[in-house]
Amino acid sequence: MIKRLLIANRGEIAVRVAHTAREMGIEPIGVYAESDAGGFHVARMARAASLGEGSSRETYLSIPRILEAARETGADAIHPGYGFLSESPEFARAVEESGLLWIGPPASAIEQMGDKLAARRRARRSGVPVVPGTDGSETNDAALAKKAAEMGFPIVVKPSAGGGGKGMSVVETAEGLAAALEEGRRVAEDAFGDPRVYLEKLLERPRHVEFQVFGDRQGNVVHLFERECSVQRRHQKIVEETPSCALDSRVRAAMGRAAVEVALGVGYVGAGTVEFLLDERRDFYFLEMNTRLQVEHPITEETLGLDLVRAQIEVAEGATLPADWRAGRLSPRGHAIELRLYAEDPATFLPRTGRVLACEPPSGPGVRVDAGFEEGSTVGLDYDPLLAKLVVSGQDRGSCLSRARRALADWIVLGVSTNAPLLAAVLASKEFASGHYATDLVSRLPALPSSIPSDAAWIAAALAISESKPGAPGAAVAEPWGAATGWRAGG
Amino acid sequence: MKLSCGDKAAEVRIEEGIAVIEGRRVPFEAMRAGERLEAIRAGQDVVRVRARRDGNRVLVWCAGSVHEFRRTAGRAAAAGEASGDLLAPMPGRVRRVVLGAGEKVGRGDVLLILEAMKMEHAIRAPRDGTVAKVHYGEGDLVEAGAVLAEIQ
Repeated sequence: MIKRLLIANRGEIAVRVAHTAREMGIEPIGVYAESDAGGFHVARMARAASLGEGSSRETYLSIPRILEAARETGADAIHPGYGFLSESPEFARAVEESGLLWIGPPASAIEQMGDKLAARRRARRSGVPVVPGTDGSETNDAALAKKAAEMGFPIVVKPSAGGGGKGMSVVETAEGLAAALEEGRRVAEDAFGDPRVYLEKLLERPRHVEFQVFGDRQGNVVHLFERECSVQRRHQKIVEETPSCALDSRVRAAMGRAAVEVALGVGYVGAGTVEFLLDERRDFYFLEMNTRLQVEHPITEETLGLDLVRAQIEVAEGATLPADWRAGRLSPRGHAIELRLYAEDPATFLPRTGRVLACEPPSGPGVRVDAGFEEGSTVGLDYDPLLAKLVVSGQDRGSCLSRARRALADWIVLGVSTNAPLLAAVLASKEFASGHYATDLVSRLPALPSSIPSDAAWIAAALAISESKPGAPGAAVAEPWGAATGWRAGG
Repeated sequence: MKLSCGDKAAEVRIEEGIAVIEGRRVPFEAMRAGERLEAIRAGQDVVRVRARRDGNRVLVWCAGSVHEFRRTAGRAAAAGEASGDLLAPMPGRVRRVVLGAGEKVGRGDVLLILEAMKMEHAIRAPRDGTVAKVHYGEGDLVEAGAVLAEIQ
């Protein structure tokens, strides 16, 4: 049994995993880069070890440093969270070789699904349809251009080793292909150390629907229903909900079966997610499998009343999946929506930095906040701009949506610009309210309204100026590179 | 005092229990928890607010929206926004300089690539011309609003 669990991550997910660890009587052990020593997650661990100085490559992404931290702190297991090393087969192998328990799927499963081209071949072999595209045998521009012309534009260029939308681009016409290939290969080489790219046909207004799957070491694999993830910007999800309005029981059953087949095909153990695109005719296509806990896992937890991190730990310790999961007796209750709060400009989606001067998360029935920041936190350039997730649940979609709007409007964050106005616009849109929307929802929203200050806002501003002493705390914001001058928010 | 918020400006004066906004008298009560302002009550209406001073700006959260106020002394708008200047839309690091001084550019051409928080952003020419100057090199940190390059 695990006594000390090292969480090889930071931000909200490190804290999320630590909560469950403590509930199971396990000591959560944190790690941190020196520049991140005062990080929100560190203060919430039972022990913490430094990963030393340097960039994320030399700290949160350094296998030797993390294993050393595990030795120093007496950890007996490692949870990778999402991002960072969570989908590195080398890390999974190194953890097991050093005698620690790995809370994740076998390295071989990560490897097979990490290569997007191999994953597509695997899915096809399991009888699961994939989005039409190239299979990686064409590598030069001329051959790819020929294939693209055959498929018909628009097409999508994707890195084979990719994930998270990085290096992906949509090409509308044949003229744009060469530049997109060059850019895709460069970004892929930089981000994943593998320049290979492939082409996929761009589906017309698809929905992005994924299935949570779970396997145990005894060879059982089940699905835990879907998550609708079509609300995206920059190919990254910002709002997720479950159940999806797009599925009827027939399509849901077929997709669930396909997801389980994909996972069985690679001997999957633990929590994983099989992503599909769903077109307007409700035909579905395998997109990829994420071999880790997903950012949006809480909406599944809320509608099924489960703790997926607890299940991950139990399965890693050798437990068989619960009997009611295996018998297919789980059924979702009500509705859940997740809103991702990013430190970014709500209109341009570009990252923003700063110091958080006020932070008061919403509360109330059916409101859960998984946060990785607080008042006084500094949001810098080095890490993912995800600040926190607001997860609301309700007895049906309508009440859940009203609750999401209310809770979002109650969320106080000052000091760093967030995408809250964009999230509010999504929740206010007729399209989202109707449930009939696709991955182009954000692009179809009207321009964000400029908010006109009320009398109360003018009064609050005037009070703040007349009451604050010059040079008081909060009068200057330290930027990562020192100088506070010239900072221009909204510029 | 004179305050601005985006393209709006107002003269605001606080007196005992009354704010005078552009000459309009608004009776109010500041509701506080200790020192901290929690809400503004005007008549029977209660509006939840938070305000924080941050350098020369004041950030106000008010009933779900965030506003940025500045104290103005009737100064003109910030200079340095000549049409040929390329400003950094976000703080970040210069990842790559694609076109250098003296090179011809067409509208939409990528001049340089900024990177922040694992995201890349291409800085494109707003119009045709010649690159007059590139103010930063690869690896340099830039602030939001910094002039990255000039086009003639």
